[in-house]
Amino acid sequence: MKLEIGNIFIKDIQFAAEAKLADGVLYVDKAALEKIVLEDETIKSVTFDIAKPGESVRITPVKDVIEPRVKVEGPGGIFPGIIAKVDTVGSGKTHVLKGMAVVTAGKIVGFQEGVIDMSGPGAKYTPFSETLNLVMVCEPVEGLKQHDYEKAVRLAGFRVAVALGELGRNVAPDETKVYETCGIKEGIEKYPDLPRVAYVQMLQSQGLLHDTYVYGVDAKKTLSTILWPTETMDGAIVSGNCVSACDKNPTYVHENNPVVEDLFAQHGKTLNFVCQIITNENVYLADKQRSSDWTAKMCRLLDLDGVIVSQEGFGNPDTDLIMNCKKIEAQGVKTVIITDEYAGRDGKSQSLADADAAADAVVTGGNANEVIVLPKMDKVIGTLDYVNKIAGASEETLQPDGSLVVELQVITGATNETGFIKLSAR
Amino acid sequence: MLRGTILTNNPLVVEKLGPDAPVVYLQCSYQALLEAARDRIHQGARLLTHPLSGSVKPGETPYKSIILTNGKGDVDRQSLQLIENAIQACAKFQQRCDRYRPAVDLDCRLIDWTLLEGALASANQ
Repeated sequence: MKLEIGNIFIKDIQFAAEAKLADGVLYVDKAALEKIVLEDETIKSVTFDIAKPGESVRITPVKDVIEPRVKVEGPGGIFPGIIAKVDTVGSGKTHVLKGMAVVTAGKIVGFQEGVIDMSGPGAKYTPFSETLNLVMVCEPVEGLKQHDYEKAVRLAGFRVAVALGELGRNVAPDETKVYETCGIKEGIEKYPDLPRVAYVQMLQSQGLLHDTYVYGVDAKKTLSTILWPTETMDGAIVSGNCVSACDKNPTYVHENNPVVEDLFAQHGKTLNFVCQIITNENVYLADKQRSSDWTAKMCRLLDLDGVIVSQEGFGNPDTDLIMNCKKIEAQGVKTVIITDEYAGRDGKSQSLADADAAADAVVTGGNANEVIVLPKMDKVIGTLDYVNKIAGASEETLQPDGSLVVELQVITGATNETGFIKLSAR
Repeated sequence: MLRGTILTNNPLVVEKLGPDAPVVYLQCSYQALLEAARDRIHQGARLLTHPLSGSVKPGETPYKSIILTNGKGDVDRQSLQLIENAIQACAKFQQRCDRYRPAVDLDCRLIDWTLLEGALASANQ
């Protein structure tokens, strides 16, 4: 399976009467996008705003971050099973509006999060302080239930991203990258001496604001399965979760998964990147057992030598992580797990809610309980009304001078467990 | 029909499932609910759902619902380990949900219910 990614570097976003993409400047027709959002009758109104790196701007509560893309060659379309038909994606050619993002924000529930600061100390903790962000805040019609509101905002974000991506269809990319993996037999013949490595991605799948969708299917209703790694680059996996925003994967992270990217970088050199295995993180313990059994079974069936396992979330998923790790290791397949830590504000508590001796190679995204002071920003997109209510915040969060005292938990992507973060201990 | 018991401190669970459902409602804190589940595990019940379900952490939501078997007999070590780890985790988080406004309290109930709802869908398959 081969996918060519054509990156079109976006240098600026401006509102304009006519939508177009020219010389790296994205001109956004607000009225046209508004029409696209309001196709859904459950959305009463939408406001668009632009936030640029370095500005004194705080965006909250963030629901999802999405990178606009368009399929220019090959089967299917972006966000299959959701916006495009359900054809298998991941081959052909895709253009990407690189350097920008669509950020959806809005109050779904009272304690929703997260926070993106475009400058100041908080900006270092979120990768989305470096993107040009088109922020859309959707208001629901009166009486709309939270489930329906969440779905409406989620889908509206994808529709807007697809409409923007379409503007890049006929633009020559500034950079082209080719990603290719091969079938099982072909891979063994081509790379007989390289270790066979796969990526096991665990997907958040617990309930409202805790869900992920694969080709439009709620991940909690899926069995562990296999993807070509390029499928995710065309939006095969999308986010429906944002509670404790530090370690949740916005759709942008699925489209740009750094584990996939790094495994491709080593493919054919130090390892043979066999495939991506996706598995869920359900609440029901028998589901956990079944999913981790299936993941381990596939690792054996595929004759893997090693896997990288990434988690999404804390607590309940710690159990899935350790089950996956133990069972895969028991099949004779080496594991490296990527997690983050809830080690208390002082960092002295037990980091995970589960552990095992088999988990002897662990990468951490950081301590989500660590406290940070976010100074007042000149402008807030969204609302601070709920900032006291986000996980990791408290009544004392909003200080009289407008600054926020919060745990890293609240910052979108701060301790991301795919490694999609900017800070490291190196 | 669920073969087990739902232990909950969430009034919405009682409201949604009705009087005939196998629900034990306790008016207690999140941690006390976990401790009540631990008592049952010591008597031989097994956990059917994860005690730390959801990303709204202990201290950030007052509500928790857990499904256990009705079994009596030997203690299930895995269940005991999960519940002990969950109780231990409570200490890491600041207590703040007692200061939420009423609307937020209702949202906390709803989230706990949706987490349980997903588990019930699996349990009733």
